[in-house]
Amino acid sequence: MSGQRVDVKVVMLGKEYVGKTSLVERYVHDRFLVGPYQNTIGAAFVAKVMSVGDRTVTLGIWDTAGSERYEAMSRIYYRGAKAAIVCYDLTDSSSFERAKFWVKELRNQEEGCQIYLCGTKSDLLEEDRRRRRVDFHDVQDYADNIKAQLFETSSKTGQSVDELFQKVAEDYVSVAAFQVMTGEAARTNFLPATLFLMRQRASPAPVSRCCQAWKRIADALHALTVVWGGECKE
Amino acid sequence: MSLKSERRGIHVDQSELLCKKGCGYYGNPAWQGFCSKCWREEYHKARQKQIQEDWELAERLQREEEEAFASSQSSQGAQSLTFSKFEEKKTNEKTRKVTTVKKFFSASSRVGAKKAEIQEAKAPSPSINRQTSIETDRVSKEFIEFLKTFHKTGQEIYKQTKLFLEAMHYKRDLSIEEQSECTQDFYQNVAERMQTRGKVPPERVEKIMDQIEKYIMTRLYKYVFCPETTDDEKKDLAIQKRIRALHWVTPQMLCVPVNEEIPEVSDMVVKAITDIIEMDSKRVPRDKLACITKCSKHIFNAIKITKNEPASADDFLPTLIYIVLKGNPPRLQSNIQYITRFCNPSRLMTGEDGYYFTNLCCAVAFIEKLDAQSLNLSQEDFDRYMSGQTSPRKQESENWSPDACLGVKQMYKNLDLLSQLNERQERIMNEAKKLEKDLIDWTDGIAKEVQDIVEKYPLEIRPPNQSVAAIDSENVENDKLPPPLQPQVYAG
Repeated sequence: MSGQRVDVKVVMLGKEYVGKTSLVERYVHDRFLVGPYQNTIGAAFVAKVMSVGDRTVTLGIWDTAGSERYEAMSRIYYRGAKAAIVCYDLTDSSSFERAKFWVKELRNQEEGCQIYLCGTKSDLLEEDRRRRRVDFHDVQDYADNIKAQLFETSSKTGQSVDELFQKVAEDYVSVAAFQVMTGEAARTNFLPATLFLMRQRASPAPVSRCCQAWKRIADALHALTVVWGGECKE
Repeated sequence: MSLKSERRGIHVDQSELLCKKGCGYYGNPAWQGFCSKCWREEYHKARQKQIQEDWELAERLQREEEEAFASSQSSQGAQSLTFSKFEEKKTNEKTRKVTTVKKFFSASSRVGAKKAEIQEAKAPSPSINRQTSIETDRVSKEFIEFLKTFHKTGQEIYKQTKLFLEAMHYKRDLSIEEQSECTQDFYQNVAERMQTRGKVPPERVEKIMDQIEKYIMTRLYKYVFCPETTDDEKKDLAIQKRIRALHWVTPQMLCVPVNEEIPEVSDMVVKAITDIIEMDSKRVPRDKLACITKCSKHIFNAIKITKNEPASADDFLPTLIYIVLKGNPPRLQSNIQYITRFCNPSRLMTGEDGYYFTNLCCAVAFIEKLDAQSLNLSQEDFDRYMSGQTSPRKQESENWSPDACLGVKQMYKNLDLLSQLNERQERIMNEAKKLEKDLIDWTDGIAKEVQDIVEKYPLEIRPPNQSVAAIDSENVENDKLPPPLQPQVYAG
């Protein structure tokens, strides 16, 4: 389980109760459960192997906490993600506003990340058209604007769920092929998320070699004073 | 440390400065009190021992390899040439282990030669003479055993790791970020080389990479975990203090979907805490990650038992935060930094371990930034709890007990008793004071009464009416006595 190799990191983003977990659950186990169920211990991280053409791709699907209190931390989650599925509830307009927030974040922070907008709970609309609170065409325009793909899914009926994830995998394969072609399979791809944060903090601007030398001298001096200071105290 | 204590003394005897061997030159504490020449000799002796041990291992590896590669001996000629050169060098040194060493090399050991060359290159620097701990030894042996199964590729890898470790030794003065970068480059290069040149299938590359990581990080751990050049330690202490200050946070405030009243669940919680604390004791980044994963699995179980459905990230993260708050794992920041810097990135980035690790980073970030709003508390309440004036637990002291262990319960009971005692003590003090006051009042009252009476009936001392004759003063009743008989004259 834990040793399994994963090719793509896919993050699920979205407000609480829009159905991120159900979507993953439907896709991975092909089920929608209302009552209590026992088979899995958690759906927070799932690795799913799928085939695209003659290739197999392993998606690592990361569920994230949607509560606003963790908003500041969401950055840590989507670092290095190749794809992000931003979910919103078709019957809840506030959830779409939140989705926009994540899209903006992703656009600013994670350029290499492909965005998929996903309106959930479409089965509720089948029952009653008037429950729709987020207009399809508005979102389509928005999606075109941000170069995202749009899906409206139902985890209850399974509508468009497989298509969504299949598309994610296909896009990854084609992008990866493109990168190999252009020799762009940069090692930065492999760098762990927090390492980036750390480095950004450590070196805010590229420092010239001369500066570095000075810094090293300063550090050495500092170390010396620490040593001597320690001895004097004693 | 011994260095410091020596220097601390104000007066240093001349003889203390000289070489311990008594060759007349000055010694240096860095060389354990020897002069440079004597130190080198001493050091070589110790070094030889280690070299010999390594050779033994290498030799065994070689023997097995030869059995397998009996046919591919064509390249041996060139190899033995370098070897013979090396042997010459060795024999010149005339160490006391010459006989045993020769015995090993009679088999024209290819691996041994290479390995020894590296050792030789290392020898001039005394500080490499690291005290090979038992664990390092064990890991080295395991690593060699493991590589044996890969024959030729194994040798290649061994050579590369050795070279890398040696290079890292000289980079010890660089900043930790640079060292981290070197390590990451090394991981990347080795993996690539294995795949392109060695044609090793990806699953096996993974396995080998794990072993390499284990080997190099066990050896580097001492130098790169929480190095003095960074403020990791400061951060450790800061978060530790912060968690301590937040001891009052209840599961309800964090919306933790775990009910610790269920014995199974509280069992899981304890296990999760144990795992996260255990992380600090591991040396290899991957083992540390495994601890986090184990902890997370226990959390999932706890949620599952409580909620009776699989947990989502919305359940998991708060619970993890709660566990971290409850466990206060040692050197949390150092461990996180160490893992980010030195873990094999392909694992950290995407896999399951990476997911849980990211969650832990989030939990730590949340704890650092935590404020009244994130706990749904009013600012006043939050401040009061933070300053320790009140505790939410005190208000519901009865509800609090179930999730506490026996000791804590006892402690709370004792605290209760103590406060009761305190009350009684105060009461007694008050009573005593009152009694004291009463007593004083009473004496005062009596004194006053006496005074009054004295005033009312003043004591008059009248002067005595007559002065009594001194001689018969005792005869007070004298006058009451009948007069003395007077002599009477009778006619007659």
